[in-house]
Amino acid sequence: MNRKEYILHLVGEMAHFVLDGEPTRMVISLHQEQDGLHLVVLDDSPRSDEEIRNMQAALGSAHRPELAGYYGSMAGLDLLGQGRLSLVGWQVKQAEVSRVNNTTRINLWLGGGQLTPGKDLPEDLPGL
Amino acid sequence: MVSREEMFLYGFFCLILALCIGAGFALQGFPATLRGLWQLQIHPSRLLIDFTAAAGEGAALVNAALAAAIGLALVAITRVRLSGPTVAAVCTILGFGLFGKTPTNILPIFLGVFLSARLVGKRFNEYIMIALFGTALGPLVTMLAVEIGAAPAVGSLIAAAGGVAVGMLLPPLALTMLRLHQGYSLYNIGLTAGFLGLLMAAIVSASAGTLEMGSLWNASPSLVLRLMIPALSVLLVGSGMLLGRRAAWSGFLRILRLSGRLPSDFMSMVGVPASLVNMGILGFAAWLYVVLVGGPLNGPVLGAILTVMGFAAFGKHLRNVWPIVGGVLAATLIFGKDLAGPGPLLAALFGTTLAPLAGEFGPFVGLVAGFLHLAMVERTGAWHLGMNLYNNGFAGGLTATYLVAVIEWYRSSRAGRRGATPGQSAERRKGEP
Repeated sequence: MNRKEYILHLVGEMAHFVLDGEPTRMVISLHQEQDGLHLVVLDDSPRSDEEIRNMQAALGSAHRPELAGYYGSMAGLDLLGQGRLSLVGWQVKQAEVSRVNNTTRINLWLGGGQLTPGKDLPEDLPGL
Repeated sequence: MVSREEMFLYGFFCLILALCIGAGFALQGFPATLRGLWQLQIHPSRLLIDFTAAAGEGAALVNAALAAAIGLALVAITRVRLSGPTVAAVCTILGFGLFGKTPTNILPIFLGVFLSARLVGKRFNEYIMIALFGTALGPLVTMLAVEIGAAPAVGSLIAAAGGVAVGMLLPPLALTMLRLHQGYSLYNIGLTAGFLGLLMAAIVSASAGTLEMGSLWNASPSLVLRLMIPALSVLLVGSGMLLGRRAAWSGFLRILRLSGRLPSDFMSMVGVPASLVNMGILGFAAWLYVVLVGGPLNGPVLGAILTVMGFAAFGKHLRNVWPIVGGVLAATLIFGKDLAGPGPLLAALFGTTLAPLAGEFGPFVGLVAGFLHLAMVERTGAWHLGMNLYNNGFAGGLTATYLVAVIEWYRSSRAGRRGATPGQSAERRKGEP
């Protein structure tokens, strides 16, 4: 899977998950960083603390090469059924889920060894 | 770093494999078991050859344990977590070691998948699941070695090359097949190996003429084989309860609420103890079904039950399995077939590959899936000349693809008619009775 496909799959699965919540607004923002990418997803679906915790757990699951390399290829392509964050979680370096002004913000860092998650957070995203 | 629970699983598997080897030698005697073991390496193994009838129960048990030990060692060497998917794979190899897989016919496939990973710059551990389950094509390797009439040395070379070649083709096909049924058939490599088997059957038929499909079925297995599953179930449930105590039972109840859609690693989603309890209970239920319909607990049937038990850590549980078995049962009775016959019996057990359909869309869809599965599986074996051991996985993958296509079309068309505006459909749903 090349870089473009990889990004499309992950963005597709994230969009699938967010749209399951039927938000009235969704913003997906992708930023090139040194040795990797920073994907930010925001939406305005109301979520409980438990839902946020579950999202963090699914996205923050340990790296599973055996699942990422094979079953992870379903990310963004399995439109029947609910969006599954774990498919994305196995493939990213780090993930953070937080609530910001009644919106849910998901930060995903995808990339190589030099990528430093947490740096250069884009604070001002249009649309929300 | 290997966790305490993972260490326990390694210990558990080593114990089971050692017990199988011990029981094997005890059943048949040391020299006869070794002779039988060698015989199995050069015996045709296409569907449906029961190794317990081909070379004796002892040799079959030792063969199965050795094949599973290779799989387990591969998991350890590649430093992949021993969890739901890998437990399912090792149990599947153990089960199919009783009717088709041997240590010698699975090695070229591992090598092929390894080379395929190298070819595209991936690490082998990313394709380890494909390699482990890809051993479904073991009979193809044996067939090239002993069934095409080549001299032994030449046949061995052709077999090794053929095994490596199909191993290399497995990853691209497996990834594509996964998208067809979207994770609603648990034996995805069954569908993949079915397609590859079709191709290989066409090539072999064109070059070597038609190959007859043989059948060996042990109708009167010994007491050891008959009691193997209940003993294993007690061990699994006992271990789970000891390891997790009350949490094991509450976790088991949580597992029953999951759809089981691929990939559902119950061991990491809910926990190892609860998954062990689920494995034991589902295994015992499958054994009870076989006993109730009067089926023999021979190599293929034990293989099917061991596969069900393995996948009880990776997608199956009582709640999503019963509608599939019900559907197969109904089809068997309506079509006037024997419930204890090889086809319907194995379809009822292996047909549970479709469990996620029942888990996600409810018992009715599960019953329909099970019904269609029986009709399908009776056809597909001949297509690949029995080269794909996961014939039920092939048929189940096709059945799931048909049903997923229909359900997806119905749901998306209805959603389109209702209006594509998210807010609107949410409002409408709130107003619906």
